[in-house]
Amino acid sequence: MNTTKLPVTVLTGFLGSGKTTLLNRILTENHGLRIAVIENEFGEVGIDHELVINADEEIFEMNNGCICCTVRGDLIRIIGSLMKRRDQFDHILIETTGLADPGPVIQTFFVDDEMKDKLALNAIVTLVDARHIPLHLESSEEAVKQIAFADSILLNKTDLVTPAELHALEARIKAINGVAKLQRCQNANIPIDSVLDIGGFNLDRAIGIDPRFLDPEYPFEWGGILEVSAGTLTFEANENPDPSMTAVLIPVSATDEESLALAREIAVRAFSHDAIEASSGSALTADGTPYDLILQEGTMSWTCKIETTGPLAIFTQHYPEELDLKFLSQTGELQPAISASYKPDHSHDETVTSVGIQADGDCDEKKLNTWLSKLLRERGTDIYRMKGVFAIKGNPNRFIFQGVHMLLDPADGGPWGNKPRRTSLVFIGRDLDRAELNQSFRKCLA
Amino acid sequence: MPRLTEPEEFEEIEIRSAADLLPLAWSADLPDYALDIRWSPDGTYLAALPSTGQPEIHHRQGNEVLALPSHRGGNGSLAWHPDGTTLATFGQDGILRLHHIATHTAREIQLPRGWAERCAWNADGSLIAAAVGKAVHIIDPHTLETLHLIDDHRSTVTDLAWHPTLLNQLATASDGGARMWRLGETKPHARIDDGIAAVLTTWSPDGRWVVTSDQTPSVHLFDMKKRTPLFIQGFETKIKALAWQTGGTKNLPWLALAGSPAITVWPCFGKNGPRGATPIQLYGHLKEVTTLDFPKEGPYLASGARDGFVLLWLPHHSNGPAFIAREENEITALRWSPDGLNLAYATNTGHLAIHSLTTKD
Repeated sequence: MNTTKLPVTVLTGFLGSGKTTLLNRILTENHGLRIAVIENEFGEVGIDHELVINADEEIFEMNNGCICCTVRGDLIRIIGSLMKRRDQFDHILIETTGLADPGPVIQTFFVDDEMKDKLALNAIVTLVDARHIPLHLESSEEAVKQIAFADSILLNKTDLVTPAELHALEARIKAINGVAKLQRCQNANIPIDSVLDIGGFNLDRAIGIDPRFLDPEYPFEWGGILEVSAGTLTFEANENPDPSMTAVLIPVSATDEESLALAREIAVRAFSHDAIEASSGSALTADGTPYDLILQEGTMSWTCKIETTGPLAIFTQHYPEELDLKFLSQTGELQPAISASYKPDHSHDETVTSVGIQADGDCDEKKLNTWLSKLLRERGTDIYRMKGVFAIKGNPNRFIFQGVHMLLDPADGGPWGNKPRRTSLVFIGRDLDRAELNQSFRKCLA
Repeated sequence: MPRLTEPEEFEEIEIRSAADLLPLAWSADLPDYALDIRWSPDGTYLAALPSTGQPEIHHRQGNEVLALPSHRGGNGSLAWHPDGTTLATFGQDGILRLHHIATHTAREIQLPRGWAERCAWNADGSLIAAAVGKAVHIIDPHTLETLHLIDDHRSTVTDLAWHPTLLNQLATASDGGARMWRLGETKPHARIDDGIAAVLTTWSPDGRWVVTSDQTPSVHLFDMKKRTPLFIQGFETKIKALAWQTGGTKNLPWLALAGSPAITVWPCFGKNGPRGATPIQLYGHLKEVTTLDFPKEGPYLASGARDGFVLLWLPHHSNGPAFIAREENEITALRWSPDGLNLAYATNTGHLAIHSLTTKD
């Protein structure tokens, strides 16, 4: 008997985000997978495909004590039927209507015994129309929820917005959901693996909460210090989907952590000013001026006249490797003596936000249970998703949970081994009080 | 209602063998997962419905098989006409097909697009009901015309059951519970409606109770005599198997329910029926019970489960089961023949087996 769980991906996205385009690609591309698609009742997949099933999006209240627990009855019925077929599938893809709240879909996999037993919810993938999503976020609670619930966000139609709009949008999305993987694309053209092989809603992912999610936020992703000689320093980059990238050059006194930290604070202030557009071939100055390096097709380069030999700090909006950025002196390519990556900043004017908590050491199991129970009882309707990895006093193994609203799915995450015992958890929800959540959690520490 | 409890000695229950009493007579293999099996009313034939591929009609002796056309998109349901001359099959293609057994001919009607879950004949076979999406079509089997359309449902109809004797009454299950209908009326004359989504429904053989199993671990009953609802909860899991006992003991009927490895059997007679009663609890399966059946006139409850075991119980005499068979795969359907002499079961890989009693004891 086959006991392997069948992976399921849920595809959400507001009207016009490109879901149908992506679905058609998935169904026609030669990826070797047998994928059953459960399409919404207004689905527009334009091909006659035996594995495309229309669903009615029938939402039932469970009346199981969880006041916000609603499930998709049609999914239970359709997937139950699919599981009874000999011509088994490699993957199930569920498309929701553009106006759907993904909550009931996810809760279906949490509360139905048979679904829990036989299926693994691989990921919630949300397609976002880069041009129109700002309007939708203002007017539609569902659009916000689709981003909040996502494990992976495909930012589509990026060719229809300016670089500045794109950066602002990414920051806004990250403010809502700080843990989802964010990818840019045009015409929903993205490797199919990005959609089907995410492993986003599984325990490995829960363990792997990005530690930088808990770090302070900066307007740049990378910084480093180069030892430069007097003369000309050349920056060389290759084409990139991004139309531009902001960078700033700051002379420093040494190539150590302290110097980098000092320069970082100067760079933060510099990034808050309007950047000067710099096309390929332009000259830059090493004086803390922010530049928007305009990225075009092919190889681009910029020069900077260095008056005196010494260390120079450079901060870039994106990682240098993203555009194959090289630092060239007269004698060859320079490598940074020291470098660091930084968590990009987000705007903080969203009602729906992500709150990450991290603490070294163990939690007291009883206190933790009490805290979580109270929190979910009082705030469960506002908490869309949770993920956490806990170190429990006296337990050699990780304790893992993921949750949707009031529903928690705890699991054993295997032994800590030699790794430092540390608790990391993330809440995504409405009107979350970061300070209050942090303070109340810290009372659970042993 | 009492909460159900597991006996402490659950893991030490002794299982006797009844394999000699009910040995394997013959077996066959269906093309896919066995959704359902049904004996013809006189027990001559056994119809078997795979999830995909051709439904089959086997002679009781196992020496003849008739393969019927399959339904595109998957098979859904099958039902014998009460006189045994016709078998109805229904599938996700929306086609209701009536197969005349003697002539090997079939007539069919294409119903509108929608999820096709169940078809069922009324007590004398003068009407057949087919549930498609949120509607139930009541069809004249001679003209294949839809005589009545019952479409006042909140969601897709997941099951339906005719009254055991009244020809114009049926119950339907959907989100919100069960609705009891009289043909010709636009609104249900009774309903179980407390917000629960009903999955299965059955009408007790004496016509007194309409029962639903739900998306939650609960069962709802409606006493048609008193017009009162009754709610049973405390089950470990959703109830997926229901069976009525209509013979073999003095007070009848009893209702057997299962979804977890435990089976409970509830009295549905007397003034209060199951209200306030303690059920008989039967423990023996290792995994979730998926199918139950009592013979028409006997006390033997047969059960099949995801553990592959087929067990036999005498609920009013012993809590211990007798062993009939063990398959490598999940038992998905199980039926006693009308004379109670043959027990058929089938698995999720399509294996079909018939065990026949060696004596009448």
